[in-house]
Amino acid sequence: MFGLYESAFGALTWGNIVMLLIAGLLIYLGIAKKMEPLLLVPIGFGVLLINLPLGGLMEVGADGEPIGLLALVFRGGITTELIPAFIFLGLGAMTDFGPVIANPKTLILGAGAQFGVFFALIIALLLGSAFPDFLDIGIEEAAAIGIIGGADGPTAIFTANELAPNLIGVIAVSAYTYMALVPIILPPIIRLLTSEKERAIYMKPQLRKVSKREKLLFPIIGATFIILLVPRSAPLIGMFMFGNLLVVSGVTERLADTAANAFMNILTILLGLSIGAFMSAENFLQGESLVILGLGVIAFVASTAAGILLAKLMNLFSKEKINPMIGAAGLSAVPMASRVVQVMGLKANRRNYLLMHAMGPNIAGVIGTATVAGVFLGMLG
Amino acid sequence: MDWTWGEVAKVAGAGFGVTLLVLTLLSLIVWVVSLVTRECESESPGEEKK
Repeated sequence: MFGLYESAFGALTWGNIVMLLIAGLLIYLGIAKKMEPLLLVPIGFGVLLINLPLGGLMEVGADGEPIGLLALVFRGGITTELIPAFIFLGLGAMTDFGPVIANPKTLILGAGAQFGVFFALIIALLLGSAFPDFLDIGIEEAAAIGIIGGADGPTAIFTANELAPNLIGVIAVSAYTYMALVPIILPPIIRLLTSEKERAIYMKPQLRKVSKREKLLFPIIGATFIILLVPRSAPLIGMFMFGNLLVVSGVTERLADTAANAFMNILTILLGLSIGAFMSAENFLQGESLVILGLGVIAFVASTAAGILLAKLMNLFSKEKINPMIGAAGLSAVPMASRVVQVMGLKANRRNYLLMHAMGPNIAGVIGTATVAGVFLGMLG
Repeated sequence: MDWTWGEVAKVAGAGFGVTLLVLTLLSLIVWVVSLVTRECESESPGEEKK
């Protein structure tokens, strides 16, 4: 225009416009509906920025080296896996393992709820083999898609980056969107798989008091044991347990505070923006993306159902019955899944305070998904 | 199709099995460690406060 500079209007495509609408929707859900605002707002704004043409935010030089601002962040933080791993450090510093230590069998519920990951993997491969011209899905891609069922954003990104880097944007968005939708997805599945009587099963509101020594030993023993068995889970489990040790040690308060707050916030901003920036129209608007979004729902539903059914199975063998709804909290979405169980528990029985009971499988779900990621990377990476 | 159903069974079956096994064993370890820790603490109740 005027021979002085180039406006971006002429370069706007229909794809860009669709993506700008999606960006608006993500920002709206984050701000107006308060659905995972810390993630959906930066992701949405990243989508907005990258779909305004000629900005060069994701520009890569002829030698493949990043030039654009967000391309540099993406290469330095996501491709190197620094951001997802360090987010686990912050998560560890924000997590209280007390409910897991007080009731260790909740770890089994967290493992059971990983079923959806493997179920979605098989469904993805079935679809890929049924429509080979439309979907290019091998085992690596199917595993990366399946991990959405773990309901753990950083783990999904970590796994997708290694196994299916071309799908990282849609997998991240799918994981975070469904995590935000946990209050909508979980209740109908819980109602379908449990009777009114089961939902009303009473659990004592107080878990036993966990000593400082137990809390100190858990991250050390947990990290050592899991990493020895599943070595490729080391970046996630190692950072998770280290972050927690900073808190429970009681002598590294400044580090714990930084890990849980300032550092975590910086990482969240960089993660959100760079994931959003990966969602350009040409990357995202493909039939494959819609299929992956659909598979994400299947993975979520299967994980929730497996958690509930495993809790019911455990009830067959245990003297003290657990409320099967806490199995649904085996998804890693902390603490949304636990909150849903708490609300539904109160509805079914006004004496029932299930929040702390649900936090056990919920935290176990984080450990479980990181373990699954390690297993996948060990087998396929 | 560059995979076989045998590979899929290995990844999905063994993968889920390993995850279940790891967390079940971890829950046993946590339970045992808690038991021992509480036993030690009940023998020396003042130590926790130090």
